[in-house]
Amino acid sequence: MLKHLMAASALTLVLAGPALAAKEVTLDLVEPIADYKIFVAEKTGELVADTQAFVDAIKSGDLDKAKTLYAPTRMHYEAIEPIAELFSDLDASMDARADDYEKREADPDFTGFHRIEYGLWDKGSTEGLEPFADKLLADVTELNKRITDLVFPPDTVVGGAAALMEEVAATKISGEEDRYSHTDLWDFKANSDGSQKIFELVRPLIAETDPAFVEKVESNFNDVDVTLAKYESGDGYELYDKLTDQDRTLLAARVNTLAEDLSTLPGKLGLD
Amino acid sequence: MSGPDQRETEARLGNLMWIGVAATAALALAGGIAFYYASQLRTTAEGETVRVAVTAAACEPNALTVPAGKHVFEIANRSERPVEWEILDGVMVIEERENIAPGFSQTLSADLAPGTYEITCGLLSNPRGTLTVTPSKTQTARAEAPALKAFIGPLSEYKVFLALQGGKLVASAGALEAAIAAGDREAARTRYQETRRLYKTLEPLARRFADLQSTIDPLADYLGQREEDPGFTGFHRIEYGLWGKNDTNGLTPFAQKLTADLATLKGRLREVKLQPGMMVASADSLTRQIAEARLVKGEDHYAQTDLADAEASLEGIGKIVDLLSPVIVASAPEVATALTAALDKARARLADLKDDAGFPRYAEVDAEGRQRLADAFTGLADALDQLEAATRVG
Repeated sequence: MLKHLMAASALTLVLAGPALAAKEVTLDLVEPIADYKIFVAEKTGELVADTQAFVDAIKSGDLDKAKTLYAPTRMHYEAIEPIAELFSDLDASMDARADDYEKREADPDFTGFHRIEYGLWDKGSTEGLEPFADKLLADVTELNKRITDLVFPPDTVVGGAAALMEEVAATKISGEEDRYSHTDLWDFKANSDGSQKIFELVRPLIAETDPAFVEKVESNFNDVDVTLAKYESGDGYELYDKLTDQDRTLLAARVNTLAEDLSTLPGKLGLD
Repeated sequence: MSGPDQRETEARLGNLMWIGVAATAALALAGGIAFYYASQLRTTAEGETVRVAVTAAACEPNALTVPAGKHVFEIANRSERPVEWEILDGVMVIEERENIAPGFSQTLSADLAPGTYEITCGLLSNPRGTLTVTPSKTQTARAEAPALKAFIGPLSEYKVFLALQGGKLVASAGALEAAIAAGDREAARTRYQETRRLYKTLEPLARRFADLQSTIDPLADYLGQREEDPGFTGFHRIEYGLWGKNDTNGLTPFAQKLTADLATLKGRLREVKLQPGMMVASADSLTRQIAEARLVKGEDHYAQTDLADAEASLEGIGKIVDLLSPVIVASAPEVATALTAALDKARARLADLKDDAGFPRYAEVDAEGRQRLADAFTGLADALDQLEAATRVG
């Protein structure tokens, strides 16, 4: 529904505003895209290392440790989702929700982070999770390999800034994603940081021509960061149900504005 | 953790959400209608709007056929759950639209090349549909020259290669320096070869920096006092010590200077503004130099490792070819084919000279063998001349 609203308001802008001259794409995008791949490669390296520790905790039956490692491990994946999601098979086996399957939690194809999350929190045990843990480790290792070999498509990278905020709007603001562990704020932060990274990398290309836009986006990111910072706890975040209605409303507003504004980035860079 | 209070809160929130949906439905509908006409207008030139419904069990229709080019797909969710819709090429997602609410439609635009694709249809457990894209006039007309945009990904990837390989190069030079400082000749020889290999993979661009080139890779042959010349520094000076004199003695200052120069090179490679034409020209001139000078005379006078050098240089040239070929394959398929063939031939001729023990000393390769290898590099340089023309942006 958010997207419909956005589509509607974007259209209003298009119809109301004077037609802007189409911007030509330039090779100035080469450096940001290259730097983004290096960023993603680093995150994927951390994902592999942290998943190994997470899997070790599950296989040694250490429930508390496994629960502690779940959210921080996922953050690396959530931060690079525009790229990770390009691989449909891995995205399904690593990050699908029970809702994506006919038999929901009981479906034999329900695997990955959320299957393990379901076991650790809903069942309160590491029992029976070994095969899912092994599969997750194999998947992140394969993801790492595929990302190394991937020539990053500029549309996916630049479009990723808005896609990540849309992801927040669709699945984090609602608390839908981490429904068993309620660690949604960790994912929220990772999505938002991933989006901010893309914006920062292309910012020099639009800073001079579009200073008001840059300032607005930065201010909204800052509001998100400041609000999320209120929920920092230890090395991570409070559970999702600690989020006050007031802050949820503020975050939803900023996230939607960011998603809408950032969806104009490809056009500003001549990628439409 | 999920107590009754919390469930109640969640239920309330859920209700609020659906009130929100109802309130925005009118807006969305208005927007949707306007958007529908806008997309109709926008797509008539290149293709029609393709309508697909996702039901609880499948896509309707489950098999689509469209001509190549830009299309708008309108996906209606006629199931009970939010769905996503994707166009897949193998395991790769080409385009996707996430979170389509039950009862709602969303649009997605995709620029499709001819081929057979799969489409996802709601639940992951549902069977996938097919999307067949047939060749079209628009597609053929568009393929006269590559668009500038098509180079961004490959050039970025080359930039990543330069950055990662540059990092390894400086680390390897540091290890060479340490082995020399420790007086370990065998370790130093191993480190030298690894550092040299990494440098050679970067050579198409590295050799453009004349100032660095003159201290990193000068040959004694071109210096007034040959090996005794104060300008004799860099790789070959260290090679001269490790193989010519069989000793690490006195090499530390040269190793330190080499590390410093390679660190500067790494920084320059990080800063360099890449252009397709410049990349091809760099690969081309290096290939020709290898064919016409290096393979004839040999450069590694003391270690006789010219074939290892040629192999590493070819890896660096191959990296450029492999990245740029896909960009021109639609507009100049014959150039792409010729390049692949020429690259394969050069690799094969090098492999012919290799056995289980590795490459022979270059002194053992006779004039005929050298010429045979040089011919393959000349063939590759000729193919690169064609690539230079084919990478001119349309």
